Amino acid sequence: MRKPMQTGLIVAAILAVLTITEYLFATHVEDDLVRFLGITVSALGKAVLIIYYFMHIYRLWRPQEAH
Amino acid sequence: MALATAHQEAAHAPAHNHLAINRAGLWLFFFSETILFGLLLSARFYLEGIHREELNQALGLLITVILLLSSVTAYTAETAIEHDNKKVASWYLFFTIVLGLIFAGGVAYEWSIAHFHRNEAFGSIFFTMTGIHATHVITGVFMLILVWAQALRGRYSSKNPWAVSAVVMYWHFVDVVWVFYYPALYLTK
Repeated sequence: MRKPMQTGLIVAAILAVLTITEYLFATHVEDDLVRFLGITVSALGKAVLIIYYFMHIYRLWRPQEAH
Repeated sequence: MALATAHQEAAHAPAHNHLAINRAGLWLFFFSETILFGLLLSARFYLEGIHREELNQALGLLITVILLLSSVTAYTAETAIEHDNKKVASWYLFFTIVLGLIFAGGVAYEWSIAHFHRNEAFGSIFFTMTGIHATHVITGVFMLILVWAQALRGRYSSKNPWAVSAVVMYWHFVDVVWVFYYPALYLTK
């Protein structure tokens, strides 16, 4: 159980960093395009992390594996 | 005839095939839900562009962190049940329920202090997006409570983890939706 928990904590830390990055882009960047790109990339990064590591989307194409 | 044969084959499929079918079905449900949430997201930008009304930024950030934290506790519960650590799984399911309720409370509070009206364009899309999302959160909390009650009775294990996995995946999906709704509602200018 230790290894998956380590993975979970690392992902949680990256999610926290991306959330702060997103907030800083929104509150401190004046250029509309840069702000939009910063917020979008942060949100996409968070979504990919959750979908891959927490929702285990890769298990869809590994049907023989129970977990 | 062919359908009957296929049904018989499915009925006698090995357990891991049932799990694969369950998993695929759940993901199809997520894709259909993505269309609903995606349409609301596009309606938000169609109606208001990147303009938004003033919202409580501290509250928005706080409930976002709470929901992300609840995903971590849900992940821990799922990992624990897959390793037959039933006590840890029960506790972390409970923590997820509490965090989910705090998130829903935060959204309710945001509604109570919002200075815009539901008849305005931003107000209508804000209340629709957060309302439908909060409904999914409440549904998730309800399902988590059902699974938690069963987990307390020791019903789930590494050989029978599907109910826990499914409700946890649903919870993560609700979190992914908020990952996009939070910047769209709180962070655009």
